[in-house]
Amino acid sequence: MSNFSDESPGCYTEHGVSGYGVAAKISRSEPMTEDFVKSMAESMMLTIAGKCMELGAKCIGHIKSHLRTEAGTIKADTIGVGHGSYSSGRLEHPVRDVFIAINSIVQGIPEDAVKAATLEGMHDVAGQNGLFVVKEKEHTYFDEFDFTASKQDYIKQLSEQLDMDQDR
Amino acid sequence: MIIIQVAGFLGCGKTTLMLKLSRNLAAGGARKVALVVNEIGEIPVDGKVIAESGMMMKDIGGGCICCEVAATFAKTLYQIYKEFSPEYVLVEPTGVAVPHQVSLAARMSGRDAKVAIGPAIVLFDATRPAELLDMDMLGQLVTTQIKDADVIAISKVDAVDMAAVKESVTKVREINPKARILNLSSFTGMGIDELTDIILNWEI
Repeated sequence: MSNFSDESPGCYTEHGVSGYGVAAKISRSEPMTEDFVKSMAESMMLTIAGKCMELGAKCIGHIKSHLRTEAGTIKADTIGVGHGSYSSGRLEHPVRDVFIAINSIVQGIPEDAVKAATLEGMHDVAGQNGLFVVKEKEHTYFDEFDFTASKQDYIKQLSEQLDMDQDR
Repeated sequence: MIIIQVAGFLGCGKTTLMLKLSRNLAAGGARKVALVVNEIGEIPVDGKVIAESGMMMKDIGGGCICCEVAATFAKTLYQIYKEFSPEYVLVEPTGVAVPHQVSLAARMSGRDAKVAIGPAIVLFDATRPAELLDMDMLGQLVTTQIKDADVIAISKVDAVDMAAVKESVTKVREINPKARILNLSSFTGMGIDELTDIILNWEI
């Protein structure tokens, strides 16, 4: 297995494709219903896509998000403003806290621009919906936890991971 | 262990298809199926969605398996072979991966694991054919993906009319005259049984 190296540059860079990922905890004092979270997430995806295009992107590969809560998971994504956005998943009851991960892959602008569009879009839409970003960390995902844990432990694991990542 | 790629540009519906195709292929436990999901971002959103489905899944983030993390991909295949010995491994490369390079990387694991390369299934998004093919740098990449396909699935056919489907078929046929072309809708299920049959009857 020595013919290939894991250190070669990515094939996508020569095609002008850049990516950026961020994870955050966003909260609101008033509980949010499933419909509210889905609508907010869809709006966030479209806003990020729109901002990327404003910054000169030629094509949106995808803007994807995964929103974990104590009541279930919502997924939302778009492949461009003109294509609309789509969400799926269920929340068993309204929630105050959402752990969101966003992955933006865009063609035609550098990573810094994708980062700016992603963060601005996240903050703008969160603010418009009465949410505030409690914590955020780039290039992070909540993947070190147990799906079968109790709700309290599950949320504790997500919070701890975000705190741990901030310490890195 | 037969390696099957489900490739295609970003946002064409690969992950949704992977979930449904893997269940179809597993046939309620009659066959052992594993999945490998690769994303260039360091946030493997798709992998987590699949992991929640309960399928045997490995995700590879932080680079593309056709180039940057090809060796990691080969090692992952070997690990799956050793630990699980599935009959089929469905591989979802990044949306910017080149299928023939993914096959080369998969073959590297063949030194240690008994692997065979199955069909390279490439999805082509019927909702944005011009957007994908007509741009300078991007069109070249999507064209290469189509050229490398054994099977081309025109995806999201439920979201467009028949004229748009025909337009996509015509465009991909010009690029790859040999590939089998079928219509796919992961939402309605159209084409998934046909893809399953193609995989099961593929001559290695």
